[in-house]
Amino acid sequence: MKTFKIFGIAAIVIGTLATLTLTSCSVEQATAYKSRSGAQAWGENCIRCHSTPSPSSYNDVDWSTIELHMKVRANLTADESKKIFEFLRTAN
Amino acid sequence: MLLFFLVGNVIAQDTKQDTEIDSLVEAALLRKGFKPSKTQFMIRGYGHTGFTSTKSDTGHEKTKESTFDGGTFAPIFLFNHNDRLMFEAELEFTLSHGDLDVGFEYADVMYVLNDYMTVRAGKFLLPFGTFMERLHPSWINRFVSKPLGFGHGGMAPGSGVGVELRGAFYLGNTKWNYSTYLTNGPTINDGSDEPEEAGMLHFENLKDNNTSKAFGGRIGFFPFADSSTEIGYSFYNTNGTGEPGSEYEKTGAFLYALDFSFVKQISALSGLVDIKAQYNNSKVEDAFFTETHDDGDVEDYTFDNESNSFYVQLSYRPTMSGNDFVKNLEFVGRYSEYNTPEGAEWESQSSQYSFGLNYWLSWRSLIKLSYESAELEGGHGSHGAAKVKTFSLHWAIGF
Ligand code: HEC
Repeated sequence: MKTFKIFGIAAIVIGTLATLTLTSCSVEQATAYKSRSGAQAWGENCIRCHSTPSPSSYNDVDWSTIELHMKVRANLTADESKKIFEFLRTAN
Repeated sequence: MLLFFLVGNVIAQDTKQDTEIDSLVEAALLRKGFKPSKTQFMIRGYGHTGFTSTKSDTGHEKTKESTFDGGTFAPIFLFNHNDRLMFEAELEFTLSHGDLDVGFEYADVMYVLNDYMTVRAGKFLLPFGTFMERLHPSWINRFVSKPLGFGHGGMAPGSGVGVELRGAFYLGNTKWNYSTYLTNGPTINDGSDEPEEAGMLHFENLKDNNTSKAFGGRIGFFPFADSSTEIGYSFYNTNGTGEPGSEYEKTGAFLYALDFSFVKQISALSGLVDIKAQYNNSKVEDAFFTETHDDGDVEDYTFDNESNSFYVQLSYRPTMSGNDFVKNLEFVGRYSEYNTPEGAEWESQSSQYSFGLNYWLSWRSLIKLSYESAELEGGHGSHGAAKVKTFSLHWAIGF
């Protein structure tokens, strides 16, 4: 019972937050994922699980290894990982 | 004199020749450019160490403990064969109670089939919710502890041995990711050796105890194009958990999890807001277990074998502050609870509030100062209630 109560509260909080995000992003929503730049996709995605490494954290070869590791672990789309890691390799 | 002259001449010639060779080599290298090797081997990983002090109060007994934690060293080996094929493995060395524990976290090989499908085989972290697969490494987890219900004695499967297919794709203006796997199934504790754990599931099966495998998966959905929000549903199903020939052979289990993640830099709050939550539910089919009373009487009993656990974590980092010190601070709070079946020998209800103040030294290293207050009722044969307060200061680093 207690779990349901807490889960209910969490659902309300999450729902409110989601609605807030929806309204704040409605303009952004028009710009689909595909038209995002590598830098933008890097800023939005790499922070989802851990703090974002800066491009200078690794050299090109290391980034290629991390690219495959993160693409699979973080379930990135092929388009996203290609753009993000191309950006990281040009900006390091 | 003559000798000196001759020797001097030879040395001069030698030096001249050396410089010529050097410049030829340099020119050749320049023309060739630096060519990295096609395959790459990387050692990465993480470690943490710190101090923990615990006060526990069971009503009739108060205990205090404090200890420096010996530290954990978790090397990760990545072998990148080419841009489609990779091997990853992690070992975890922990010092606990004066002993060295070695954990074999994962070792799997992965191959990218196409833009939408990657296959993995071996022992891998299971995408049952997001905590174990994505958030448990100490440089990622904002607290020293895992939320209740995860890890040792928990209800959520952490890793499995088998095969998995995963990938991600766009559908209109939304983004989705999926994974689906077949692994060695869990084993039910029949209570013959540990009657206090009768009916509990154990997931770490390097070799399966029967032919029933576990089939599971997760689907993740991003409703917004800025990838800030992800909602996930996971399931894990098996048709049998007992030894072949035993009455539990066909005792099935179904687990599911719901997860939520919201991470976004919000200018109005001058910082980064990170919310993570996961709910786990486990239902094992009804079965009878045997209880031996103190007077030697043997009795069969059963119970509704359903467990659940839940956590929600909120963190805030004032990343847009002008002050370098403040920028690296992080405030974090977490609530978690874990309920095991009523009527089981391991029946328990526990809940925990955690508060933390972290300082980020770099993107992969942080100092965690945290205070946790937990209420535990029952569990492992004891029926008392305990209040446990934990204070810890830890340093985690990814490398
Ligand atoms: C879905 C969660 C998630 C996302 C999103 C994510 N990572 Fe990671 N990342 C992880 C986990 C988990 C690890 C630790 C791996 C381990 O311990 O097995 C990690 C580790 C790393 C490491 C350490 C080296 C390594 O490969 O283990 C780097 C570098 C890294 N991530 C970069 C990135 C970049 C760049 C992005 C953006 C494209 C990104 N990550 C997005 C989960 C994620």
